[in-house]
Amino acid sequence: MTREHPSLEERRRLRQRRREYRRDRRRRWQWFGITLLDSFTIVAWGALLLHYWLGGDLGLLIHPAYRWLTIGAGIVLIVTGLGVLWSRLRSQTKMPEALQMTWWRQLSLGILLSVAITGYVAPLRAFTSDLAFQRSSGDFMTLARAQPQTFRVTQNPGDRAIIDWVRTLNVYPEPDAYLGDPVNVSGFAIHSPDLPVDQMMIAQFVITCCAADVYPVGLPVLLPGDRAEYPQDQWFEVSGEMVVEETSDERRLVIAATDVQPIPEPEDPYAY
Amino acid sequence: MSSLLSAFTLFMSLLVEAFPFLLIGVLLSSALRFLVDERTFVRWLPQNPLAGALAGSTFGFLFPACECGNVPVARRLLIQGAPTSVAIGFLLAAPTVNPIVIWATWTAFRDQPEIVVLRVVFSLTISVAMALLFSSQKDLRALLQPSIANALPQTVTGSQQHPLLQGGTYVLGGTQLQTFERMAYQTAIAAEMAIPDELNERFHLFLENTFQELRDLGTVLILGSAIAATIQVFIPREIILSLGQGPVTSIVAMMVLAAVVSICSTVDSFFALSFAGTFTSGALLAFLVYGPMIDLKAIGMMLSVFKARTIFLMFLLITQFTFLGTLFVNFHLS
Repeated sequence: MTREHPSLEERRRLRQRRREYRRDRRRRWQWFGITLLDSFTIVAWGALLLHYWLGGDLGLLIHPAYRWLTIGAGIVLIVTGLGVLWSRLRSQTKMPEALQMTWWRQLSLGILLSVAITGYVAPLRAFTSDLAFQRSSGDFMTLARAQPQTFRVTQNPGDRAIIDWVRTLNVYPEPDAYLGDPVNVSGFAIHSPDLPVDQMMIAQFVITCCAADVYPVGLPVLLPGDRAEYPQDQWFEVSGEMVVEETSDERRLVIAATDVQPIPEPEDPYAY
Repeated sequence: MSSLLSAFTLFMSLLVEAFPFLLIGVLLSSALRFLVDERTFVRWLPQNPLAGALAGSTFGFLFPACECGNVPVARRLLIQGAPTSVAIGFLLAAPTVNPIVIWATWTAFRDQPEIVVLRVVFSLTISVAMALLFSSQKDLRALLQPSIANALPQTVTGSQQHPLLQGGTYVLGGTQLQTFERMAYQTAIAAEMAIPDELNERFHLFLENTFQELRDLGTVLILGSAIAATIQVFIPREIILSLGQGPVTSIVAMMVLAAVVSICSTVDSFFALSFAGTFTSGALLAFLVYGPMIDLKAIGMMLSVFKARTIFLMFLLITQFTFLGTLFVNFHLS
């Protein structure tokens, strides 16, 4: 009887120790897992920014002036993510109890990671006529922002892009001043409901900072045939000359197209 | 499907443009947290309310903190004995009046420089006014949560009574208990503020702080960008325009949005930018001025310092100031 007591006690202690050992091991693994996940999330975001840059998609997202900011941030994020991993591994003994999988940690890491992964997988797309209708103030000829960034008066009319035409017209709107000017512009087609069926808008989005602030500008084109032959959102290169169209209540400038060629969407679809 | 892709592209563009600014803000605030000791700083703060309000409101240039980083700093300033005007001025102005936020706002609104200038002017004016108003309250404790009030150094609490003249018994007196509590709290705050001497340890804390802020603020940024992209693409233009073109409704809508979305002030200008074509300038300004001072997230944090009553009063006054100021912009400046 007296001998069994210590042995029972010992067995209990042994079991207790084994339990603690397992718990510690589990905690260590959990700590390691969280550390890897934390670091991976930050690295994944840095890599996503660089992925957009290297894949040529950055031009769809932001104004080229801020390219370097995004690239720099991508590099710094990767370094930070690796730094967190390195620093946690080094000070392993000090921190484990600070790393609990709280609901906020789960939620925030989940959101960050899933958006980063979606960013790799989902395609980006240049904006089309849907957004143009959503964003335009009606006629595509007014500038949403007052101050033009570049403005060249001496430009040869044949070299003007859509945005140059719209800016010029905003400064000096008299249609007769441009009568007979040669036109060479490219943009995507918008079948505006306000136009007759033999006309469409040739349009481009203007970007100031990022895709969130794009707004469309465009010029009406008098087509050689019905606009159904020129599908909406397809990019075209339009050549022709400026004519003045008179309707009951206004006189406005229209491009009389002599040649309308479909072209592939440019890598950098915005005007600045 | 097409509008879903547009929404995703818009969402990603907001994130890609805003992330660098978030990163710069987080890195700077983490670095300052472990490099600058505010205690040396509090000693030469002006005691005059107006000077204090102005000084506090421009401290953002020294501690560029967005509205998540500024509450802990303001709390530390208060406990270390900074005058009320300084602490309140800092609390309300620092998230807007600091170089990173001004740079980000300039990036977004290059074409409307008046928005950048008015954002700074309005934020400064409102913060200074609020700081002056609240510093007229002599006993600061009335405004604060009891735990913070107890931790205040005697000199700024306004209780000028000599300790021997205070009522109550000296054996189990409330004064004594309060002193113990205060000491305990001050120790806790000191521990929180402790900057480790060892460089390695300091770097470790810097990285941990950076990671944590990036994770938390990044998540809020993602949610905010998702809301902005959804509104932009899926809500019919007529609804947005009818709301956004009214001089009064546009301001109210943007102020409600600012309070709910809780997006960090470093990146909120990009959020506002996506409404630039459809909302009045006054409304955009209301979003940019109001959001950094009052939002759900910030109120949660401010409750750790101020009594609910104080915050409600602040909320009421700031709402009125912002509304009237931006209404003036809508009617007379644009």
